[in-house]
Amino acid sequence: MTGTYESSTQRLLALLNYTYLLLVMLVVAGILTAAMTLQYANGELPCPLCLLERVALLGVCFGIMLNFRNAFSYQNTGFSLVFAIILLIVSVRQSLLDIYPRPGHEYIGSAIFGIHMPVWSIIIALTLLTAYAIKLAVLGGDEYLRAAAIEEFPMIRSLATILSLYVIALCVINLVSVVLQCGLGECHTFGYQLLQQ
Amino acid sequence: MMVAVFATMSLALICGWIGRRRLAIGLVVACLFLTIGLFLFEVYSPEYGFRMPWLQTQVGNEPSTIRAIRS
Repeated sequence: MTGTYESSTQRLLALLNYTYLLLVMLVVAGILTAAMTLQYANGELPCPLCLLERVALLGVCFGIMLNFRNAFSYQNTGFSLVFAIILLIVSVRQSLLDIYPRPGHEYIGSAIFGIHMPVWSIIIALTLLTAYAIKLAVLGGDEYLRAAAIEEFPMIRSLATILSLYVIALCVINLVSVVLQCGLGECHTFGYQLLQQ
Repeated sequence: MMVAVFATMSLALICGWIGRRRLAIGLVVACLFLTIGLFLFEVYSPEYGFRMPWLQTQVGNEPSTIRAIRS
């Protein structure tokens, strides 16, 4: 009886963990999609530090995707956390660069709800770090994750597959966009370098 | 350099997806170091270095309560 209870509890914890990972990936994919929509629909070219913030968000997704594709490992969680910290460092520095408007240095792009992208990036990075901290505090260790593989949750597995492929597509589109914008040299926000030649 | 950052991240995600975990981790670590290098290159100014001299702080007028405690 106790064994069955423990088994169902562990299954529930595993389900919560995979749902949490799926939600984080969904939110990050949504943020990247919004940034790319602003880029292509409004013609707001990303600055170099903005592009590095996108890489950091893709890095967060990388750790989550490995947890879905391979067995659960804290190494994968570690990669997500490292990239969340990179996102925080880059966005704080960018906000400090632009916090005092002067020629050549001002917040670029349009503000969303009155807040510019670098400041949003700080909020996103802090939210990611806080979410991971709360998840580790509430859901605890990984014994139940090793026991319950994602194959036991076909719905989550299907959604994770679709979302992972979507994130890979976003990264490849960004790669093509960066090639067009920066070529093999430095990135500028004047226009798509390769299309102007 | 930015192209290299996105290329390594794209390859890392693709390798992770097809199950080449070790290769994916190697690529993402390479991407991480490229990102850090590019970040330092972007924020470095020949004039200011890594400093941010436009951020200035100075001691304002001390509140009377603190002045009273000091004296």
